[in-house]
Amino acid sequence: MSERPERDPVVHSSLSRPLVIWSALLVVVLAWALYDETYGIRPWKGYEARFRKLYAGYLANAGLGEAEYERRLKASPEYHRLDAEMQAAEKAARPEASAIDRRINSGLEPKILALNGSFQEIRSRIAALTYEIETTRSAGRKNALRGEIASLQAEVHRIELPGEPPQPMNFDQISTRLQQMKDEKARLLDRRVEVMRQASALRAQRDQYLSDRIPNASLATIASVQHGLDKFDIGIRQIHVADIDLVDRCESCHLGTREPIQLTAAAMGGEAVFTSHPDQDLLKIHDPEKFGCTPCHGGNGVAVTSVEKAHGENEHWLWPLHHKENIEAGCQQCHAREIVTEMAGTLNQGREIFRLRGCAACHRYDGFDREAEEMTSVSQQTRALAQQKAATLREAGFRVQQADQAATNAEARRLYQQATDLQVESSQLDAKIDELDQRSHELVREEKKTGPDLKEVRMKLRKEWIPVWLKDPHAWREGTKMPTFRLDDSEIRAISAFLWQSGVDPEWGRPPGLPGARSAHTTPEQTAPGDPAKGKEAFETRGCLACHSMGEGAARQGGTFAANLSREGEKANYDYLVRWILNPRQRTAPYCPFEKRDLTPADYARHNLPYVFDLDHDKCPNDGHQLQVEQMTPMPSLRLSQDEARDIASYLMTCKRPNFGYAPAAYMDDPALKARGLALVRNYGCAGCHEIAGLEEEQRIGTELTREGSKPLERFDFALLLPKAEAEGWHTHKGFFDHKLTDPAVFDQGKEKAKQDRLKMPNFNLSKPEIDALTTLLEGSVDPTVPESYTYAPADQRADIIEGWWVVRKYNCMGCHRIHVGQTTVFDTLPRYRDPDWKDQVPPTLIGEGARVRPDWLMRFLENPALSDKETNRDGVRRYLKVRMPTFYFSGGEVRKLVRFFAALSSQPEPFVEETLEPLTAEERTMARALFTSPGAPCLKCHMTGDPAHDAKATAPDFTIARERLQPDWTRRWMLDPAAISPGTAMPSGLFTHQDGRWVFAGQKPSVFNGYQKDEADLLLRYMFEFTPQELSRLRAGMRN
Amino acid sequence: MDLHQLWTILSAPDNIAIVVLLLAVPFYAWYGLRQAFANDRLIDRLEADPEMAKTHHRKTQPYRPEWDKEVHVWPYLLRIEFLAAIIVTVILLVWSIAINAPLEEPANPTLTMNPAKAPWYFLGLQEMLVYFDPWIAGVVMPTLIILGLMAIPYIDTNPLGSGYYTFKQRKFAILTFFFGFLVLWLTMIFIGTFIRGPGWMWFWPGQTWDPNRVIFEVNRDLPDIFGITSRAGKFFFGATVIAAWCVAAGVFIHKLITATPFSRKIYRRMSLLQYAVMQFFLIGMLSLPVKILARLLFRIKYVWVTPWFNV
Repeated sequence: MSERPERDPVVHSSLSRPLVIWSALLVVVLAWALYDETYGIRPWKGYEARFRKLYAGYLANAGLGEAEYERRLKASPEYHRLDAEMQAAEKAARPEASAIDRRINSGLEPKILALNGSFQEIRSRIAALTYEIETTRSAGRKNALRGEIASLQAEVHRIELPGEPPQPMNFDQISTRLQQMKDEKARLLDRRVEVMRQASALRAQRDQYLSDRIPNASLATIASVQHGLDKFDIGIRQIHVADIDLVDRCESCHLGTREPIQLTAAAMGGEAVFTSHPDQDLLKIHDPEKFGCTPCHGGNGVAVTSVEKAHGENEHWLWPLHHKENIEAGCQQCHAREIVTEMAGTLNQGREIFRLRGCAACHRYDGFDREAEEMTSVSQQTRALAQQKAATLREAGFRVQQADQAATNAEARRLYQQATDLQVESSQLDAKIDELDQRSHELVREEKKTGPDLKEVRMKLRKEWIPVWLKDPHAWREGTKMPTFRLDDSEIRAISAFLWQSGVDPEWGRPPGLPGARSAHTTPEQTAPGDPAKGKEAFETRGCLACHSMGEGAARQGGTFAANLSREGEKANYDYLVRWILNPRQRTAPYCPFEKRDLTPADYARHNLPYVFDLDHDKCPNDGHQLQVEQMTPMPSLRLSQDEARDIASYLMTCKRPNFGYAPAAYMDDPALKARGLALVRNYGCAGCHEIAGLEEEQRIGTELTREGSKPLERFDFALLLPKAEAEGWHTHKGFFDHKLTDPAVFDQGKEKAKQDRLKMPNFNLSKPEIDALTTLLEGSVDPTVPESYTYAPADQRADIIEGWWVVRKYNCMGCHRIHVGQTTVFDTLPRYRDPDWKDQVPPTLIGEGARVRPDWLMRFLENPALSDKETNRDGVRRYLKVRMPTFYFSGGEVRKLVRFFAALSSQPEPFVEETLEPLTAEERTMARALFTSPGAPCLKCHMTGDPAHDAKATAPDFTIARERLQPDWTRRWMLDPAAISPGTAMPSGLFTHQDGRWVFAGQKPSVFNGYQKDEADLLLRYMFEFTPQELSRLRAGMRN
Repeated sequence: MDLHQLWTILSAPDNIAIVVLLLAVPFYAWYGLRQAFANDRLIDRLEADPEMAKTHHRKTQPYRPEWDKEVHVWPYLLRIEFLAAIIVTVILLVWSIAINAPLEEPANPTLTMNPAKAPWYFLGLQEMLVYFDPWIAGVVMPTLIILGLMAIPYIDTNPLGSGYYTFKQRKFAILTFFFGFLVLWLTMIFIGTFIRGPGWMWFWPGQTWDPNRVIFEVNRDLPDIFGITSRAGKFFFGATVIAAWCVAAGVFIHKLITATPFSRKIYRRMSLLQYAVMQFFLIGMLSLPVKILARLLFRIKYVWVTPWFNV
């Protein structure tokens, strides 16, 4: 306030400077807003411009290379032939076609055009008047209008058609004439198509020939794409699926996804965003127009403002893009019912781990381990129905009593009638109970446990080994299914003591007069020693290695389905092994789920019954309930002889490390530890995988995982790692699953918890790919975001395939058999089978099995692979194989599922249609016999004949079972070209050649064939399907002579 | 000190308005008060010098007698308003381009977010839920606030201070405003935004918002401290305490109102109804922080416990 200004600042001070500055700023900001609106929040525009540039460049280059290739292809004789045929046909059709064209173009078309104008004009005037009639209320006016229309119709016009003199025509005449001309044109066009039909078919054939051989894209495609690119406009490209209310704009940036030309990142200047979808086959099944992108891939399909948002990787978006290693998670939401989904290898692996490693033993998951659930529900229903039945009968009894004392006859009759009705009702309940009984009878065979039965520990195991094993199973046996629990020494002691003391006593029920045997449940023969060398050979060739493995580390051989037996000798008892190899399903005592205990001989003796329990004697003598009479293991019986079983057991007993030894474990007999052991076993959920006395009915202890992938992230307990997870960017579903599977105790880090409150999930020592596979499954286990109709739930044969895979996986059929193309079996990995001598010893491939064999035969074979009740120590079909199809004791339902599975895989009609063959005449039989034994077709050289000396060298099945086993259609194809069905087969190809519309034998024919005009392959086929054992012995006799 | 946490809260698009508010409101309060004090000084000078009052206008602008005492709205006011409009437009445009609407995931009825916070302007109300029954905090109090604001013109009997900044002539109104808006409303918004974390627990600024945090906090009702257990006892004890508090607060407010000769003059202009309404709202206003402090410092949940309502 030192010096006052001369003039009033309110009036005279200028605001121009701030006004200019801020106005300029406003303009700048407005410009910015415009830019942001056009490009800033529309980054896809840049992508589209770049795509266009890169694609045009690529096409120009690709065109050059393709052109040279196409020129060469077009010079090939085949193409020339097709082209010439096409040209010839076109030339032949050309004159008529051009005549038709001329008639249409110069004759009809101008006249139609000329007439149409007049016709349209009158018609629209009539239409306008008609509308007026319809909307006018006054009747007089209506009539006037009708008159107007009539006069319009009657009015005569002077029509001048090109090439015709002018003529007077009214409306009707015009319309009739016009219709005539249009009909004429349509007829001519039809005729033209007819004329050109052959030429266009040939042209399509020629173009198909080209496109089949051009790996990438033909010049024509390139040209059309280039043409399309000229009209390329920059705009949002979106897929709108109306019925699921889905809008996916992914293709606004991912422009190459569905291009007809396969684009790689390298071709597009290193921009991965422009590459084509890597699996076009997958896209054909899941047409993006119907499925969109995000239902499979995740991400935010609507967002186009930034890559982060479009990929759903921003906070709050619930379904971010699946990571590359978990990309198949998207399959699971619609394919949740399957255990095997085609083209989804990682997901299948995840499901297989989930199933095989026993995840479902603690965590419920829809579809997995469903037999156990069904068993529970069946027994509950049975119990309820039985109660209902008892109540009904009691009520019926009351009515009868009341009726007996009824005052009047009518009253008595009424009550008797009621009693009868109630009895009928009870017999209906009986029928329902029977049905459930039937199912439970089947379920006894279907229900499996992940781990072995722990009631048998006293018979099976070396006592001191148990604590060693519990300490760290993975240290003792690499890659075992049993996970490592974080047990301290006192817990191990208690659990071992409990398990040991709750096991079935080996001395229990020992029949008198069986001294020397270690266990009462093995016979003296089973305790006799065997030959380890022979056992080793048998172990390696009988098929044990399809599931089990032998050798540690790099020396490991065999399958991963079951245990590695390299150290079996350190833990097992010999006699139990013999018994187990002979029949793994043999139980020591039947379990009654009603009484919740194992039955003893005393239970049977009380009812004067022998202590016999098997699949035919599976009802509880005390209460008639279904017993568990089998060990719940998927291990089948190989139907070995006692000798062989002893040899293998002896061999396994030699599988041990030198100098192994265990600390004494006397505490395991301490009864004081038992109670704590029980509590711990219950706490850790051991009974999920193992059968344990007293804990047979335990429930799952883990959380259900069926919808785990859509559980809100907030519900996952990251515990104290939350800030770390947020900072490191794994505060996601995937992050949780990955970390939990890598170290199941990870979220206990830093927590102050009592031992029993800590996380229980044990460590499965999964490898990175295994974790990725499981994470894929879990990430995909979501509440479907698409409607029910998108779920893959086919009602046709594909449903049989879905069901069949569960059985195939359950019993590890793929350990021995190739079931789908591109699959390897364990035998492909075994060095022994790479030897040429052993090549024919691998189990048969089952690709096309449904077409090959008759379903009724397959059913019988699966039930009894020996195809004989007496001679069980053999394979029913391929007796020459050392490996052997084992007896799996499938339930009826499982057999049906498998048979339908194979039929569906080979697209066989359902139900089975039997092909009938024309019977052979006597003359034909002589001819066939001659051919069969001729030196040109030495069928019996490789096929089995039943002669033991010969069969030892045979490499193909017996003809006598062909009739009941094979399907004629397949057999015909097989005879004509076996290599096409099974590449590398020993069966020779080219036995027949095609001549004059029939197949004739290619080798030297016996003389009786002279003059035979029918199909010779068919003759042989019909002969084979009439082949009998008598015929075989007759042939053998003939050959010997 | 978790600076990252602090930054996360401060930079959330939701909270930008609050951060601006926390800076802008004190600044403008100070700016307004500065002008008010300057005006008050001028008023003193003019009152002391009647000669000057004849020629000088009542503004603290530099002034020469030959200048106009008054100027026209157009252009002298409007050009300033126009400039202000441009500045605000620029700021709003930049804000809306740079920061998108803070959308979150679709609502999930089975999952409540933690912490679940209302929009910033309602956070004060939400914070009140900690101290009162839901229907008192959520229904009665907001209604009283609105009614109180509506009542102001009818109970304001002070004719001075209209059209210019002054503190001296409207001390009571300004202090009441500062207390109600700055101390109560803004403080509660501040607490709701920056202090309340997961589980609506009290986190000092810079403390990590850990959803797994566990604290021990037991609240008691006032009667419990005095060992009163019977229902009737609680009712009458609570009623007595509340009544005593109202009387004490009323006396305190009356002392404030009649503290100076000027305010006594205003007081005498009031009717009984006006005075009673004013007392009612002022007691209510004063009760709020008392209850908050009782709760935060002494862990007292309710004072007056009845089967129908709790205060």
